[in-house]
Amino acid sequence: MSQLLQALINGIALGGMYTVLVLGFSIIWGVLGVINFAHGEFVMVGAYLAWLANEYAGIDPFIAAPAIFVVMTVVGFVLQRVLVNRVIDRPHLVSLLVMFGVSIILANGMKLIFTADFRRNDTALDGSWQLLDGVTVPVTKFFVLLCALAILVGLSAFLQRTRLGKSIRAAAQNREAAQIVGIDVKWVYAVTFAICIGITGVAGALISPILAVQPFQGPPLTLKAFAVTAMSGLGSIKGALGGAMLLGVVEAGLAVYVAGIGTNLAVVASFVVLVVALITRPQGLFGGLRPVDATAT
Amino acid sequence: MRRHWRRTTLLAAVLALIVAACAEGDAPIENALETTGADVAGIDDPPLVVGGVGAVVPTGGPIMTGTIRIGAALSETGKFAVEGRDSRQGYDTWVEWVNNDYGGIDVDGERYAVEIVYYDDESDADTAANLTQKLIDEDGVDFLLGPYSSGIATGASAISEKNNVIMVGGNGTSDTMFERGFTNLFLVATIASDYTRSGIQAMATEGATTAVVAYEDTSFATAVADGAQRHLADAGVEVLAVERYPKDIQDVSAIMTKFRDLEPDIFVGGGHYNDAVMFVNSAKELGFEPDGMLITVGPSNPQLVDELGGDVDGVLGPTQWEATMGYEGPYFGTAADYSAYYEALWGAPPVYQAASASASGLALQIAIEAAGSTETDAVREALRGLEVDTFYGPISFDGRGVNVAKPMGTIQIQDGEIRVIAPDGAASTDLRYPQG
Amino acid sequence: MSAIAAFVRSPALRRLGQVVTAATLVYLAAVPLLPQTNDATLFTYTLMLTTIGVAINWNLTGGFTGYVDFGHAVWFGIGAYVTAIFMSTEGNSLQIGWPPVLCILLGAVVSGVLAALIGSATMRLKGPYFSIAMLGTFVAMREIVRVAKPVTGGGVGLNLPLYLNRPLFYYVQLVLVAALLVFTWWLRRTRFGSALVAIREDEVGAEMRGINATRTKVAIFSFAGMSTGLFGGLWAFQITSVDPDTAFVELRTVEAVMGAMLGGIGTVIGPVIGATVLFWLNEVVWANFLDFHLIVQGVLLIVIVLYIPRGLVGLFDARGPSVITLLDKWLGTEPGDTYGDDRVPVRAGLGSAESGEWFEDEVESDPVLTGGGTEPGSDSERATV
Repeated sequence: MSQLLQALINGIALGGMYTVLVLGFSIIWGVLGVINFAHGEFVMVGAYLAWLANEYAGIDPFIAAPAIFVVMTVVGFVLQRVLVNRVIDRPHLVSLLVMFGVSIILANGMKLIFTADFRRNDTALDGSWQLLDGVTVPVTKFFVLLCALAILVGLSAFLQRTRLGKSIRAAAQNREAAQIVGIDVKWVYAVTFAICIGITGVAGALISPILAVQPFQGPPLTLKAFAVTAMSGLGSIKGALGGAMLLGVVEAGLAVYVAGIGTNLAVVASFVVLVVALITRPQGLFGGLRPVDATAT
Repeated sequence: MRRHWRRTTLLAAVLALIVAACAEGDAPIENALETTGADVAGIDDPPLVVGGVGAVVPTGGPIMTGTIRIGAALSETGKFAVEGRDSRQGYDTWVEWVNNDYGGIDVDGERYAVEIVYYDDESDADTAANLTQKLIDEDGVDFLLGPYSSGIATGASAISEKNNVIMVGGNGTSDTMFERGFTNLFLVATIASDYTRSGIQAMATEGATTAVVAYEDTSFATAVADGAQRHLADAGVEVLAVERYPKDIQDVSAIMTKFRDLEPDIFVGGGHYNDAVMFVNSAKELGFEPDGMLITVGPSNPQLVDELGGDVDGVLGPTQWEATMGYEGPYFGTAADYSAYYEALWGAPPVYQAASASASGLALQIAIEAAGSTETDAVREALRGLEVDTFYGPISFDGRGVNVAKPMGTIQIQDGEIRVIAPDGAASTDLRYPQG
Repeated sequence: MSAIAAFVRSPALRRLGQVVTAATLVYLAAVPLLPQTNDATLFTYTLMLTTIGVAINWNLTGGFTGYVDFGHAVWFGIGAYVTAIFMSTEGNSLQIGWPPVLCILLGAVVSGVLAALIGSATMRLKGPYFSIAMLGTFVAMREIVRVAKPVTGGGVGLNLPLYLNRPLFYYVQLVLVAALLVFTWWLRRTRFGSALVAIREDEVGAEMRGINATRTKVAIFSFAGMSTGLFGGLWAFQITSVDPDTAFVELRTVEAVMGAMLGGIGTVIGPVIGATVLFWLNEVVWANFLDFHLIVQGVLLIVIVLYIPRGLVGLFDARGPSVITLLDKWLGTEPGDTYGDDRVPVRAGLGSAESGEWFEDEVESDPVLTGGGTEPGSDSERATV
């Protein structure tokens, strides 16, 4: 019983991490229609910023996160104007390949600056809480989950309540209609991309005390973001949470209950779930900002 | 249809250009250590020499009869860039020493300078294999020094074997490489399956009776873990559970949850440096407190202490070599002497990967001198019969070409310091067990 | 017709073209016999031929049918592993030890069959979903190979018997690549080849015209998988050991995609030129820039995708901005009509055997790169994301 409870807690903690990791990726795909292949690299850059803040100014990553959000938002805005704008109306292969180029440049550029050495960030929020006998809650991951939920709520409110948020939703659902009613779609795209890169940078800062920071940590994170997004629906905030939790719990469960090779199976599982979900429920599990149908021509 | 031919012409011209480019290929990075010990500023930045075969003439040393060319493919870029750099500095330290301090390799009374031709294998096995072939065929090297990492060395060693060129390595220790019956492959370092032996023995002596093992599912880590299970059984320790995990794992809390409930005395784990960080953190988070934690990669790296601070106190780890070990030999002097020599050259003390690399070159040198020849067959015989003490520890190869004389060291992080606790001959302090 | 265009179309240059093409072929065939050639040269050439072969195979689905496979290297890995499993005689394997030729062929067949099975599921997905599903297949397969330790040796991998004969491998792969090239060229002229392009242009329309889209695309996918599996088997044989991280490498897919993109996606000769240029570019960039070479590659990829989406072949294609029109502008020999004079006959002549038509594929209407016939950004296109 305590093992089941612990597995659930591990899974939810993992899900919290995946949620914060996947949000930016999912919304960029949903609104701009661009698959951000460099997603994991933006996480990595955010993590390095958090590490720098801690190493040279002694700022805790949880406190540095808002500043990192601002910095990464600017980075995202510039990148959108310079590069991403050119590929928005082009087919997916183009944006996929351009962002893949960006990922290569970011990973190797960061390697030139910081070397390939592993860095780890510290936070005051570490250790664990004893819940019951044999059941503990990891503190850092708990606060990551809290932050993820806060970002989720904030983002929902922003998209539902504010004028800009409504413009973003309109642009995602029907771009031409949005233009007709006077929405500056290019501006909306730039703002969306900037905010999403900001959130992605924050994700990097939040996970920097959990995962070692290094230039080549990006690709597995991008793949996870792919899996969760395709499964749960493009730009769907509820979906991102649901998909991330589902994946987290499945992975943690497999790893705890299958002896010897459970952790390996968990890696396979996320992609098997992805492929099966795409084929059997091509419209996504949760529905999103824009219609998804993976089998429609 | 004329326009087709226009295009054919242009495309064919492009192809012809490309084919012509093949002849040029890539430039070898020659080691041009023509400097004395005092003038090392340029070492970091070796000139690119295309096809040049300049004999190295050390200043103030004896006149060299000729040059012995040695080839090495090392990772300067890619995921092993750091370890590749350490290995290269290790090789260069030996070259610097043998040419300038020692006066060249003594082959039957005549002195030969050493020159190493390096290529960057980009941390890629295909590239390393290709470059090894190139070193043998195009650069005409007499001997090879090993690349970094087991995965890369496996392909390269097959080519050196096929071409009958001796390869001495110190940083590719996976057992499978030495089970293929190769006659030209030698390893000065301790083989992967013996990494945990001295650490496990030390803990078993202190009364450990149960253990769990977790390892990354890659060639090297598997060899270490298989060896660990054998050594645990030999020491009478019961193995309660064995877990494998994939490369690039992001979360080990499930594994640690399972282990916590088994309440073992010893945890043995390993893969990458990152895994060590996750194991220590996750154990702390979940309240998993074994009496001893032996982690394959990480603890011997001072960076781990810097980053995890007090959390890693008491953690054990294997090490090929530490400057504080009590080894000594006629070349380079003691382990501490070697460390000082290295630090004077590079500005930082050597990690064990660098020491292993220097020792590889040294073993080759001693064998050439013993053989009095640079012929492959004679040097191979000399290597097989080698029995020598060095700053790196004793060197003596078995039938597989593995150095079985040197035991693996084990260190423990005690109050933020990396201290050698085993084997007895090399230890500088006692094991603290339980580690708490 | 401008003076430049007239010059490049002159019979003398045409003759030169034939001579250069023939010379390239003779040179490649004679490489192992040249005095300065050694095993290292041949090994390099063989690795280059492997890259070219995989790029051609990727182009069969990615270029012709528009199904962009982001996990193509999975077939390479499967071919390599099946070969290794049946050939290896050492302790960490089943110790079957069958003859090499049989093992390599078996590897190709298993890759082909698995490609047919997996393809019939994943090819129901469209656009990026197919790409991601294949990427997932690739990652999952690598883990499955790792988990199936009794058969595959797990993360440790398998060693193969040492049998290295560089000239033999070189010739085998040269013949294979040449055969693949001829096959692709022939394929484009068949009804089946037209069906592939029809699926790319408009899958629903193709089905309405009586093309069995599913069977067609799975067939070519399976063929590409088989062929890449063959190269994988040959690779395993030459490198003499396989493990999950050297057999299943993302970079192999990336190189295939980049090679096809650089040369000209959806053309017959494009992947060959692209992969060749890329291979030597890598060697040169890598030798001279060391730490910067991957960054240079990233920049290069972006530049290719944004500025020469039709690839190098497209540069010599008179339909859009090309070397010829640029030269004309530069020299001031502005043409009245640079192109178009014999454009229609080429389209009509799809069935003829003119070798020049290798470059005649409808690159400019490739939906993969240009958004197909749909207005870019329109809802009908965007709804399919």
